[in-house]
This record gives sequence, C-alpha cells and structure tokens, in this order.
Amino acid sequence: MRVSLFITCYNDTLFPETGRAVVHLLERLGVELGFNPAQTCCGQMHANTGFRGEAFSQAKRFVRLYRDSEAVVVPSSSCVAMVRDQYPGLFAELGTAEQGKELAALLPRVYELSEFLIDRLGVEDVGAYFPHRVTYHASCHGLRSLHLGDRPWRLLGKVRGLELVPLANLDRCCGFGGTFSVKNGEVSSAMLAAKLQDIVATGAEYCTGVDNSCLMHLGGAMHRQYAGMKTIHIAQILASTETSPAEVTA
Amino acid sequence: MSASSRQRILDRIRAATPAAAPQLAEAYAALPREYVRLGAMSANACVERMIERLREYDAEVTRCMPDELEATIAARLKGSGRRVFVAPAGLPAEWQAEEFVWKVDKNLKSLPVSEIESAEGVVTAAFCGIADSGTIVLHHQAGEGRRILTLLPDWHLCVLRASQVVETLPEYFSRCPQPPALVTWISGPSATADIEMTRIKGVHGPRFLDVILVFDQGSQPTLN
Amino acid sequence: MSHAVGEHPVLDPAQAAPFPQAALPVLRNPQLRKNVAHAIDVIQDKRARLVAEKTDWQALRAAGAAIRDHVLGNLGAYLVQFEERCTAAGGQVHWAADADEARRIIGEILREEHASEVIKIKTMTSAEIQLNPFLEAAGVKVFETDLAEIILQLGEDEPSHIVVPALHVNRSQVREIFARRMGIEGLSDEPRELTAAARNYLRQKFLGVPTAIGGANFLIAETGAVAVVESEGNGRMCLTLPRTLITLAGIEKILPRFEDLEVMLQVLARSATGERMSPYTSLWTGVTPGDGPQRFHVVLLDNGRSSILGRHTEQQTLRCIRCAACMNACPVYRQTGGHAYGSVYPGPIGAILTPQLQQMRHAQSLPYASSLCAACYEVCPVKINIPEVLLELRSQVVEQERKQAGRFFDPIYMGLRVANVLFSRAWMFQAAQRVGRVGMRCFTRKDGWIHSLPGVGGKWTQTRDLRGMPPQTFREWCAARGNAQGKGVA
Repeated sequence: MRVSLFITCYNDTLFPETGRAVVHLLERLGVELGFNPAQTCCGQMHANTGFRGEAFSQAKRFVRLYRDSEAVVVPSSSCVAMVRDQYPGLFAELGTAEQGKELAALLPRVYELSEFLIDRLGVEDVGAYFPHRVTYHASCHGLRSLHLGDRPWRLLGKVRGLELVPLANLDRCCGFGGTFSVKNGEVSSAMLAAKLQDIVATGAEYCTGVDNSCLMHLGGAMHRQYAGMKTIHIAQILASTETSPAEVTA
Repeated sequence: MSASSRQRILDRIRAATPAAAPQLAEAYAALPREYVRLGAMSANACVERMIERLREYDAEVTRCMPDELEATIAARLKGSGRRVFVAPAGLPAEWQAEEFVWKVDKNLKSLPVSEIESAEGVVTAAFCGIADSGTIVLHHQAGEGRRILTLLPDWHLCVLRASQVVETLPEYFSRCPQPPALVTWISGPSATADIEMTRIKGVHGPRFLDVILVFDQGSQPTLN
Repeated sequence: MSHAVGEHPVLDPAQAAPFPQAALPVLRNPQLRKNVAHAIDVIQDKRARLVAEKTDWQALRAAGAAIRDHVLGNLGAYLVQFEERCTAAGGQVHWAADADEARRIIGEILREEHASEVIKIKTMTSAEIQLNPFLEAAGVKVFETDLAEIILQLGEDEPSHIVVPALHVNRSQVREIFARRMGIEGLSDEPRELTAAARNYLRQKFLGVPTAIGGANFLIAETGAVAVVESEGNGRMCLTLPRTLITLAGIEKILPRFEDLEVMLQVLARSATGERMSPYTSLWTGVTPGDGPQRFHVVLLDNGRSSILGRHTEQQTLRCIRCAACMNACPVYRQTGGHAYGSVYPGPIGAILTPQLQQMRHAQSLPYASSLCAACYEVCPVKINIPEVLLELRSQVVEQERKQAGRFFDPIYMGLRVANVLFSRAWMFQAAQRVGRVGMRCFTRKDGWIHSLPGVGGKWTQTRDLRGMPPQTFREWCAARGNAQGKGVA
C-alpha cells in the first residue's frame, strides 16, 4: 500500500521525533510511506481564528497534493478534524463543484494515526515495548470530532511493559485551543492548571496523546513547574522497541 | 406602534425564511420521531415504577383496592394530623369523611383565596400518572380542582388509579383526546437547589405530596 | 455586592469589557471559582446519570433539533397562528421589535392596571431587556420570586447562569444578604433555613400583589398556550394568584403543537437540572374563567432575533431551549463563571447568541472565548453545533476588523498574514523554519527550553515554557535520510 504522510506544520517544525517515529513504526508494519516535501499546513490555525479565505487556500493545497494518494496518515487529531469537519464547509462556500468533488473523494482516505493502524491495517499489537507508567490525555478533537473511542487505549494496551493509568476528567479540555491560549491566556492557563493537577495525580512518568498541540501545552507547563513527568506522542511509544527505544526529549 | 412592529417583525421573518413550507402540516408530519413512544413494561411493573419514582421524591404512597378507597382516604387524612381540607368541585362526596372540616369549592361559588390559604390540605383526583418520571398530571377538571387549590394548601392528597398510569411521557400525550387548556405536571414536591445545589424540599408549593394508588385493574397490590 | 471582586458585573454587551479582561476578577477570586465548579459538578453528575438511562437520547435530540428547525423555517406562519389562538382564548398579544418597545408595552400595561408592585418569575428575557431598572424608575416595585433571583436582587448582584443564576454565591454569602435585607437576626447559613426565610418573605406578596410578569419556556402555536417549567412553585404562584399576568417571550420560543412537549420536556429537565421532569410544569391557554389571572398579555420580543434567521449556520442558535447544559459542560465557563461574558446569556450559547443579538456591533470578543473543545455541542439537547457557529462568527469579526487600520500591526493578524504566505510555498516555509531556528536561539536556554518570550509569546510563557526548536526539522531529516539510504520517505 502506497501511503502518504502528512506530518503537519508544527510536528515538522517542533516535533520531528514524532514524524520519525511514524516512519519507523509504519515501515516496521510493512507500509510503503511517502513524504511529499511540498506539504505545509492544513489551514487549521487560519480557520479557527476566522481567516476563512486563507484557510481555504491551504485546504486547496492539501487536496491538490493528496488527491491521488491511496491513504493519507496524519499524526494529529486536530488537523484531521480540520480536514474532515471544516473543509466541506470551506469548499461549499468558496470552492467550485469540481473541487468539492475532489475533496469528497479524498476525505474517506484521510486517517488519524490510530485510525489508520486499527481501521485500515487492522492491527492493535504493533510489537512495541515501552516499560513505563503512562497516562493518556484524550484530545478534544480526537474524542468528540473523530470519535476515536478506545482506539488509542487498544494500541497502548498491547505495548509490552507499559502500565496504563487512567486520567480523571478525561473529557475536559487542557485549554490550548490554538490562538485561544494567547488571546485568552489567563483563562487558558487556569484550564491548564486544572488539567495538570489531574495528570500529576496519576503518578505517571509520561502523558501521551494523539496530538502534539495539546502535549506541547501540557509539556510546557510540566517543564515550568518541574512536574517530574514528560509528554510523549503516542507514535513514539508505538515505535519504541527493546532494540530501539523511544526518542524522548528533555 | 405595536401594529406596525408586528408587520415589521413578520416582514423581517418572512424575508429571512423564503423557503417556508406552503403546506405546513405536511412538513410537520415529515419530522423525524424515532424516539420511544410506547413503553415496554407490563401494567403492573409500570405502576410499581410509578410508586418507586414517587417515593424517590419523598412522596408518601399508599396502595389500595377500589373497595378500600374511602377507608384509605379517611385513614390518610387522619394520619396527616390535619383537620381542615379543601374539596374541589366534583370530588366524590364519599371521599369527604365526616370527621373532618371540608371547604368545598363549587363551580358557581368558588372559595375565596383566604379560605384556601387557611386550609391545611387538599384532596384531588388526577388525570394521569407518568411512571417514567413519577409525574402526576392535573388537567384541572372535575375532581382535580382549580389550579390554586393544589397550590396553597401545604398537603396534597392525590388519588391515582392504576388504569391512569402510563409508562412514558409520549403515552400521556396520546391519551389526551385534544390539547387541554390547563395542565400542571407535578413531579415531586416543590424544591430548590439554588443555594450550593443543596436540594431543599418545599419552597412555595405544597410541601407534602401524598398519593393513594388504587389498583382498579384487577391486579393485586403488593404488600409493603 | 455579594462576591467582593472589586466592581459590579456589567451584563450590558454594549458596556462590558472584552472577555479576557472581564474574566480576570473571577480568575483571581478562588472562592467564586470554587462556588461555580461545585455547582456545575453537581448538575453535570446528575445530568450524566439521567441521560445515560435514556436509551433513545440521540433520537430525542434529533427530534428536538428537527422540531426547532421546522419552527424557525416557518416562524412567521406559526407566530401568526399563536397570536390568533391565544387571542381567541382571551389573551392579548403584543409585538415588540426591540427592548425599548417591550419595556414601553409592559410599562403601559402596568399603568392601566395601576400597578405599584409586581411579582416576577425568573425570566432571562426580562434581564435581556433590563426590565427591572426600567420598572423601578417608573415607580413600580419589583419582587423577584425565584430564590436565586431574590438572592441577586437583594444582594444587588447579577445573574451568572441562566438556570441557577446565583450559583456563584455560597450559603454564607446568602445568609449575610438575607439577614441584612430581610432584617432577620440569628439566621443560620443552613440552606433549609435560608429557603424558609425566602418563603416567608414572599408569601404575603404572592397573596397580595395583583400583577405578575414572567417568561415562557414554550409557546404552543396550535392552541395559543404557554408553558413554564420550574421547581420552586413560585412560578405557579405568579401564574395562578394574580389578577393580571404578563408573559414576555422571545419570538423563537414557539412549538407547533401541544404534543411537541413530549420531546422538549424530556430533554429540558434532564439537560438543565438533571431531573426526569422539573417539579412543576404549567401550561395555560389564554384566560380560563374562575381559574387564574383573568387578564393575560403576551409580549413577543424580537430584539435582534429575526436578524439571526435565514443564515444556515447561525440560525441553529435560535433552536436553543435555554437548558444551560452547554455552560455546565464548558471548561471555560468552569473557570470564569458567567459574569465575564458581559451578558445575561453566558457560556457557549451566550458566546454565540450575544454578539448576534447585538448584530455583531458589540461583544466581538465572545466568539473567541472558547477553546473549541466541542463539549457544548455534545451535550446540547437540540444539537446546536456551537463550535461551527463560533467559527462563522469569528470569520465575521475578522471581516470587520481587518478593515480597521489599527489592526494591521496587531501581532496575531500580522502573524496569520505572514503564515499564509509561507504556507503557500514549501520552500518559503522551509526557509522560515531555518530563520525561526536562528531567531529562537537567543530565547532558548541551555536546557533547550524557552522560558520567556516578548509580545504575544509572553502570553504563553507567563505560565508555560516552550520547547526550543530542534536542530533538524522533520523534512530535513527526510531529505537527509533519502540521500543517505536512497530509500523511502522522499
């Protein structure tokens, strides 16, 4: 299967280790993965801030780049939610009928990583080894837009050595929300503090998730507060093996 | 002023909704209604659910057979420790036991507010009971009383027949031959949770709800 | 004022501070935040349990949304039908294009009634048109009768929630207000005793004041009936005892038929208070001889509502049945409470309703008062896709703002414009990554993290660190790997 990796702009720039992990993981599972260097951003930041025209130009780019792909894998729940929930509206409002048709044909082939593993490849046990105490933060887009359900848990549950600790108030937002975190910095910080309290209470070494944007938010607070724990994208845990353990940054 | 505002508002609405349905009733009939309309419980289980719900609301519930009704009413009245009661128009005379003081509301010469306010309780029939939510429905017809009668007295004794109990709210609506002009749905005594979400029973309406469930469908009341 | 946060909350959208600023007093008030969190935790918990027991919950939501959409699409016909049936049943229907007209209509009715006092059922619509100050200025004494509204009225405070408006006030604060304003000595802070104090305070008013003002949960077009859902019985008192009743209702409150209540009553109480049914639901039709008020007026209020009609995305806003489930579920509301929204309608529904009622002339910060987590949409009993409406309103705000000269240099606007250019060509994006890496170096400490940033970035670093840019982007790694191994990922 010829699969395209859409790494997303912030993973590319700030979290390359997540991208590397996706590559190692999928190659291990026998997936032929392509990375089109023409890719940039899905347009989420613009759409969520109210810049619809700009968001549409990113959206058009995305469809143009991937219309011939067999499958597009995206290790970010909010970017997939952008494509699935917001592209149709943008195309209906600003695009042509032809563009709309191309989008409709592409949409069923765009997968968030855990969806791709479970729904498309049909694997839960990816042969990973990660001997740590881990809690899972369910990003809002993964939970309520993509309806990932227990997919991430099923994948993590099969990781050898991994002890999965449940997180209280799982469905409550961490307060990131893109530009919300600076436009409403104080409110966002209050939400973050509440979330961090729940995460720290798990006593986990790592907080994982399907979206580095939330994890960047949480990780930034953990680092500021010397919380004694780190964030790690689920791809890095799933890529981790005895011989090649996960890349973890400071 | 108002007439022109009426026109202005309606014009704005009509301009904004050019696709309004020419056949309103047909468009209405096509609305999706996939929710549960008919309950699945047996008549007996339904009545038991009604009793359970009423008790969750701290209502007193007494079961009886039709031939025990008068005696049961008298016993509940006596047990309430009260003496002066309101009887709505159309309340069966045999429900009004002689040892108590009855203030009778008549259609043509209704009781003044002060008389109702000074009564200690009221006895009524009901139109329907809804088991799912433990709701007693009054249509304020004969025997159910004007709305004020079940509002001012602090204690409400309500006689509900098993045959009047439905399981779901939609079943109640299907029992209404036509839309009633007046309805009060009572689901437990008046309550508030406005102070720190602490539920306090009895704010302005009757503080005590007492229900007699008459097993008029041939079923036997369970003893408890 | 009961919550001692400096200044009186401003709920007039034209006067209120933008949301981020208005939220600050609450964020600095731990007692207030605790009161809010406690109250919504209790309701949320009860709601979740009662929704879970409904196997047909999603079907009820779908029916609720469909009924409300059908009403909105045919609002003109249904309003005329309601007017006709209500009038035939002895009611008098008035139409108010805006708040000012609604106040004048009500003022005139009260003058005809020679009313010097009125008793009131909780109605957010009356708070929307700021009716109480108008009536007081006209010499009419207003007695709120809902316990929460009494707390606010006597405490000279403002509502912070549409179902439990005084949820930000705790028992000791209520005790203080009641003791002071009702002149009761030795009052304890037991909710039972405080509730009894309110009962005694109001009993004579219920029996003596001949005029009442209330709202409506639903208006039934088919019959001209009005339905009110409540818990305390103060509503029944106001609907039954006075000689004259005035109902103020938004034009969108219509339901086609009586039996539509079989959907709405099932979803409303569960969503609002976590009950299967509210203790009292009352329905009346015009005037019934011998039973209840013999003079009955309905004031149908537009006040910006018709301007929301007809736009596919935004029109969802008017489906709202005011259950407040969205604010109870909202992680932003949880932190800020209601006053920060600068409107009587707080929370997610307020964030979309208020700016639209203001026809986007005020409250432009509200569509941004959300992290778009969609918890509101998930719980909404009539399926209002609030995040979708928020995004639509954000784009309208941007349309307004980007024309303003001062916005050109706004860092967020500049950043998004620049980003748009960079994202349009991969080589430019890659160049920007390189420039950014160099530029970020001077902010990055030895541990590889950024602890402090200037400007907008400072909003981030005031509470969080930011990981510095790694030495190699993913695309650089791919390119290097492709060159070295001549395989994959290229």
